Amino acid sequence: MAEEKNEAQAPRAVTYAPRIQVFEPHRASLPPIRGYMREFWRRKRFSLELARFADKAEYLDSNLGKVWLVLNPLLLAFVYFLLVTVLRGGSDKAHGFTTLAHILIGLFTFYFAQNVISDGAQSITQGGRLILNQAFPRTLLPLSSAIRSFWQYLPTIPVYIAVVILGKIFIPKADVHIFSWALLWIPYVTACLALTAFGMALIFATMNVYFRDTSKLLSYTTRIWLYGSPVLWLPEMLHGWHRVILYVNPLGPALAATSEIWIRGHAPTLAQLIGLLVWALIAMVFGGYFFISRERDFAVRI
Amino acid sequence: MLIDMPDDLAVRIEDLSITYKINVDTKKTLKNAVMRASKGEKVRMRTVEAVKHMNLDIPHGSVLGIVGANGAGKSTLMRSIAGILPPSEGRITVNGKISTLLALGVGFNPALSGRDNIILGGLASGLSKEEIANKTDEIAKFADLPDGFIDMPVRTYSSGMYGRVAFAVAVAMTPDILLLDEALSAGDAAFKEKSFLRMRELVKEARTIVIVSHALQTVKDLCTHAIWMHKGEILAKGEPGAITEKYLDFLNVGTLPSNDEDF
Ligand SMILES: Nc1ncnc2c1ncn2[C@@H]1O[C@H](COP(=O)(O)OP(=O)(O)OP(=O)(O)O)[C@@H](O)[C@H]1O
Ligand SMILES: [Mg+2]
Repeated sequence: MAEEKNEAQAPRAVTYAPRIQVFEPHRASLPPIRGYMREFWRRKRFSLELARFADKAEYLDSNLGKVWLVLNPLLLAFVYFLLVTVLRGGSDKAHGFTTLAHILIGLFTFYFAQNVISDGAQSITQGGRLILNQAFPRTLLPLSSAIRSFWQYLPTIPVYIAVVILGKIFIPKADVHIFSWALLWIPYVTACLALTAFGMALIFATMNVYFRDTSKLLSYTTRIWLYGSPVLWLPEMLHGWHRVILYVNPLGPALAATSEIWIRGHAPTLAQLIGLLVWALIAMVFGGYFFISRERDFAVRI
Repeated sequence: MLIDMPDDLAVRIEDLSITYKINVDTKKTLKNAVMRASKGEKVRMRTVEAVKHMNLDIPHGSVLGIVGANGAGKSTLMRSIAGILPPSEGRITVNGKISTLLALGVGFNPALSGRDNIILGGLASGLSKEEIANKTDEIAKFADLPDGFIDMPVRTYSSGMYGRVAFAVAVAMTPDILLLDEALSAGDAAFKEKSFLRMRELVKEARTIVIVSHALQTVKDLCTHAIWMHKGEILAKGEPGAITEKYLDFLNVGTLPSNDEDF
């Protein structure tokens, strides 16, 4: 920003605002990162509006489509809940309800991350003409998908709260917290989770340009990923070195922390807090480098 | 920043080459890649040199016409000036804000209205929301669609209406450099007249225009310079009249009026 101002103030003989750009060959290297960030920041609004318009185009006049976005994970949560309780054969209502609440908030959160990743992964290959005809930082496209996924995630929270309140009315013994000070950790957890998912979206979006079946592969992978995440099972079920499973999974710390906060009303553990930050950093650094160093190739390969 | 660029140049192209790498075998999938690797096969690549060692200076305030046969590399050159395609060799230096209207049209989303698309296009090219809000009416007015169509989904547009909006957006960005790749081909005579006027205004403000067109009459009418591209190289450059003559001779069709008509 400061640079632009200096340029504008410098006396020039010409009337147009000069902005010199140089395009040179590159070999999978980063473009000048400051200029890139400046362009990115200047057009952040584009991501937002693209998300808004994409929403508008998809649900042009069907509010039913939007309802479905919430209904789908809700119904799925009930199916999983039935499955889990039947398999375990428990009949304790209060405990059953805790399991349901855990699955519900876990699934909503997992879906948020999954949507960021899978929609982001397709954002470049579906960018088509926009990519062929306009020069702009390509990270804006997966960012736009992430924004959309976040909007879809937001209404699921009140749905979760409503279910828990209903549950507490009908099963007074239910041991599920709703409002506690621990909720103050939610912005941190959500931000780290969003960054982790966004970084992974950058990786898969790049791969999808080179291998078009990446996104299809991803849809199978996320299903397995779900079973490996503490959504259908509780983090407390793991003991000793098995707890590693929680932390090698990029979404593990976020899902464990979410359950900790919502269900038990506890602040996340230190290990979870660190795990969240570490995964967010790893994903952003690797994803950012992988994507930005190759994004100038996208137009040739689309 | 130290860049060796004379003040009066809008674009300088030095020894520019652009190569496409095309995977000729199969679809680009992970499955195929793994299958091929397991059989020890290598990917067969074909390279297309779309632009070859080109040198070109485009001064501010000039209108450059580019003519040439299909596949000569004109669109490729335009995309690389816009910063969309990276050079394989050489260097492009651009001085000024670029606005593009390239062959496939803008990144229009067919499900959205013309107005929404104008906003999106403007934001993508770096305008602020307020700047666009101020310009949307101006753009809509310039495009001059039949009543109400600006708020209809773009998929209901005829190709000429589509072209009108795209052109209106491109010129409304008040670019220093305007790149038009077969932009006027679908417009009717009235709109053509209007867009010519607008382009002349831009040139008066010392802005630069590069036009790719198969309509030689357009090139003759509008341009101050012209180049003839052939297989990625510049065969001739100079005064538009002379270049289009040469190109026509090459095409060996003579100056039939019908040839001048369609662009
Ligand atoms: N995306 C692409 N991938 C691979 N090769 C391409 C791609 N786009 C263009 N080419 C090749 O590059 C060469 C130049 O193409 P280009 O589109 O620049 O031609 P053009 O002069 O614009 O032609 P036209 O008059 O038909 O628009 C052609 O040989 C074409 O096959
Ligand atoms: Mg072309």
